[in-house]
Amino acid sequence: MKDPYENIEVGDVINGSDMKVDQEKIAEFAEVTLDYNPLHLDEKFMKKASFGKTQYGGIIGHGLLNYGVITRMMTDWLWPRGGIHRRLQTKHVKPVFPGDTILPNATVLNKSISKNTRWVVFKIELKKQDGEVVVEGESLAEFPAEQIK
Amino acid sequence: MTEPNEELKIKSQQKDFWEIWENRKTWDEIQPGELRPTVPVTLTKEAIQRYATAIGDLNPLYFDEEYAKKSQFGGLISPPSIHSYLMFACTPIEDWMREPGTINAGQSWYFNLPARPGDTIRLVCKALDRYIKKDRLFIIHENVFYNQNDEVVCSGIGWTIRPR
Repeated sequence: MKDPYENIEVGDVINGSDMKVDQEKIAEFAEVTLDYNPLHLDEKFMKKASFGKTQYGGIIGHGLLNYGVITRMMTDWLWPRGGIHRRLQTKHVKPVFPGDTILPNATVLNKSISKNTRWVVFKIELKKQDGEVVVEGESLAEFPAEQIK
Repeated sequence: MTEPNEELKIKSQQKDFWEIWENRKTWDEIQPGELRPTVPVTLTKEAIQRYATAIGDLNPLYFDEEYAKKSQFGGLISPPSIHSYLMFACTPIEDWMREPGTINAGQSWYFNLPARPGDTIRLVCKALDRYIKKDRLFIIHENVFYNQNDEVVCSGIGWTIRPR
């Protein structure tokens, strides 16, 4: 079998699965992570709350739900190819509101080889249904050389 | 290291973040470099599967023991982002990460080993830096999760904007 690492090319794009983020999904994520911050659950509080000059006018989704949707895309793609998801850095540039659908993608930026192993660097994006980017980030995957048979 | 404490464990499940909120440290009081109190937790299969289901990730490596046994991992594991649950499971209700209105601005995690069902996970964490940008109060915090063999599971940095 050809080494999957050899087949990866700079510019390759991975499209992950989308997720509808509604109030129910946000409440479920709060339950499973124990993150019950009123930001995500208390509509009355969020209607009035100010964050510096920013007002959201209602509850917002967990940034870490975005994060989990992205790691799922990465492991779904990497594990069958012998890759290991090593790193994910994300910056939340816009909030996600109930009713939004989020959709992650990754683009291969670079391949490199260190002393002991092999790496792929990905540019990460998470967009809303209207194409607005809500998360920007970078990811790193390892492809251990012993996978070569 | 903080010893397991039943009372704290129960309190990490607390749903009302307003309870005792005035006792939590404010941006002024959070001392960079000072360790946050934490509580080791045993990661259950149920907690992993509930988390995986919520993020829409039904990979059999988290659900199917037979499949996972034959995989490169030799048994059930959890998704890399299980730290999202462990961060709250391993910290008491007084922890400043629960301050109502704490905005998550970003994070960066390095995944070393998968956490597995039955692992006892402990967290070592602290604020590392604080700064003001565009009138907003930022804290940079760092976190390392270890398993019962003192192996690093994952390590990360987070940026939060503080409400007070």
